[in-house]
Amino acid sequence: MMPPTTLARRAAPVLACIGLLALWQVAALALKNDSFPTAIEAIRAIPSILGDKEALINIIASLRRMAIGFGVAVFVSIPLGLMMGRSRAVAAFFNPLLMVIYPVPKAALMPIIMLWLGVGDITKTLVIFLGVSLPVIYHSFEGAKAVEEKMLWSGAAMGLSAAQRMVWIVLPASLPEILTGCRTGLVLALITMITSEMIARQSGAGNILFNALDMGQYDTVFAMIIIVGAMGIGLDALFERVRAKLVRWSEPQFDIPLSFS
Amino acid sequence: MAEPVATRKPASSIIEIEHVSQIFQTSARKDHQALSDISLTIEEGAFVSILGPSGCGKSTLLYIVGGFVSPTGGAAKMKGKTIAGPGPDRGPVFQEFALFPWKTVLGNVTYGPRQQGMSASEADAQSRALIEMVGLKGYESFYPKELSGGMKQRVALARTLAYHPEVLLMDEPFGALDAHTRTRLQNDLLNIWERDRKTVLFVTHSVDEAVFLSDKVVMMSKSPGRIRQVIDIDLPRPRRRNELLLDPRYQKYVVDIERMFDESDEVGSRS
Repeated sequence: MMPPTTLARRAAPVLACIGLLALWQVAALALKNDSFPTAIEAIRAIPSILGDKEALINIIASLRRMAIGFGVAVFVSIPLGLMMGRSRAVAAFFNPLLMVIYPVPKAALMPIIMLWLGVGDITKTLVIFLGVSLPVIYHSFEGAKAVEEKMLWSGAAMGLSAAQRMVWIVLPASLPEILTGCRTGLVLALITMITSEMIARQSGAGNILFNALDMGQYDTVFAMIIIVGAMGIGLDALFERVRAKLVRWSEPQFDIPLSFS
Repeated sequence: MAEPVATRKPASSIIEIEHVSQIFQTSARKDHQALSDISLTIEEGAFVSILGPSGCGKSTLLYIVGGFVSPTGGAAKMKGKTIAGPGPDRGPVFQEFALFPWKTVLGNVTYGPRQQGMSASEADAQSRALIEMVGLKGYESFYPKELSGGMKQRVALARTLAYHPEVLLMDEPFGALDAHTRTRLQNDLLNIWERDRKTVLFVTHSVDEAVFLSDKVVMMSKSPGRIRQVIDIDLPRPRRRNELLLDPRYQKYVVDIERMFDESDEVGSRS
């Protein structure tokens, strides 16, 4: 038997979703607008999208680009951020470059990238890569900067070289912060994935969405929004499980330290 | 009562600090002389405390011996060789514990020996024995965040002892602990130290602590940090707190040292 507080915590997100859908339903019925289908109509359209082979191929292609863009970004950004956090010279070199890229909406770069690389996978993956990189670099940087000097000294006394300290001390010590950046990056990957497909209309989940919009199939549009939203929730939940496992040692789950000198 | 100086071995020096000075640049781009012309010889197997007010550079001196900081003048030598960087022959224990939070107690203690190339099973067995010695048997699989400050410092001590440094460098190790915990750790440190008499360089601002633990107390003054005086503590070992506190010789050391600090206008800068 679950204690009531656990039950409430588990039920809360479900209730929130049902509440939102109910609100949608009422609003759509009240407005009676063709371009605003009811929640039930939108949900009814979901099975036909997911049952369509073409649509599934598109969605899987989107997810594949997103996974590659995200993976490469994380792979490149973590070492870069960590080095920036531990070396003033590296930080001074990369900081202005990143500050220039940071405020530019990554989708705004797409037309240019499309001219160079075409409308295919590479362009879209590159945009996702750019979107994910910055938060991961930033959080890795902050994490590495905060690593206690004395912890590194302790490692040095044990015989760890500078490179070994980077991999075996700075990296694990910064991991909670790095994963916070990756979580933000994951959401941004989803956003840039859809926007990139909105601009380079060729395939993908975003393409289905905007094609349906062009053709006035509003129930499909809203069904796709629900699908993308669900993908976001699902990916985030999955990531959160992995993250919680990796940084169990830093979570304040034992609030009261054991009293014993 | 006891035979004085009976336990002292014929001494050979292990650490030589020769005319060390340290100048830091402050944020205002002004030079601040933290240490001025420090010369000190530390004998093998001795428990030496560096005692002084905060800001006298005593920790800096310890970091120089550790090889974590290079002196701007002079040199520190370990067994005749100039210290150029950190090494496993000199094991630090910091006030901040500096444990690896992603490692369990056992993982922290085995880290050094594993790094030194000891086999996993050997490091494991040795570390478990050390964890028991510092009084933490049963806590092997705990993470640092689950431990109290005193327990963390016990782990830090075990972690450093695990790779068998020849010299222990202790930087106000009990400074962050409450009085009761500090007393217990002082007693336990002495018990552990009396087994193998490793050379210890111990930085503290507590006169009682320095006298209770040490063979030799190096008194420092500040701005710039200099050695005021080196005092030999001729008190019998093994030392027991309840006996020592009643011993007039102990009391005299404490009072004399406190008076010397007071004379030099540094009242209140010691906490």
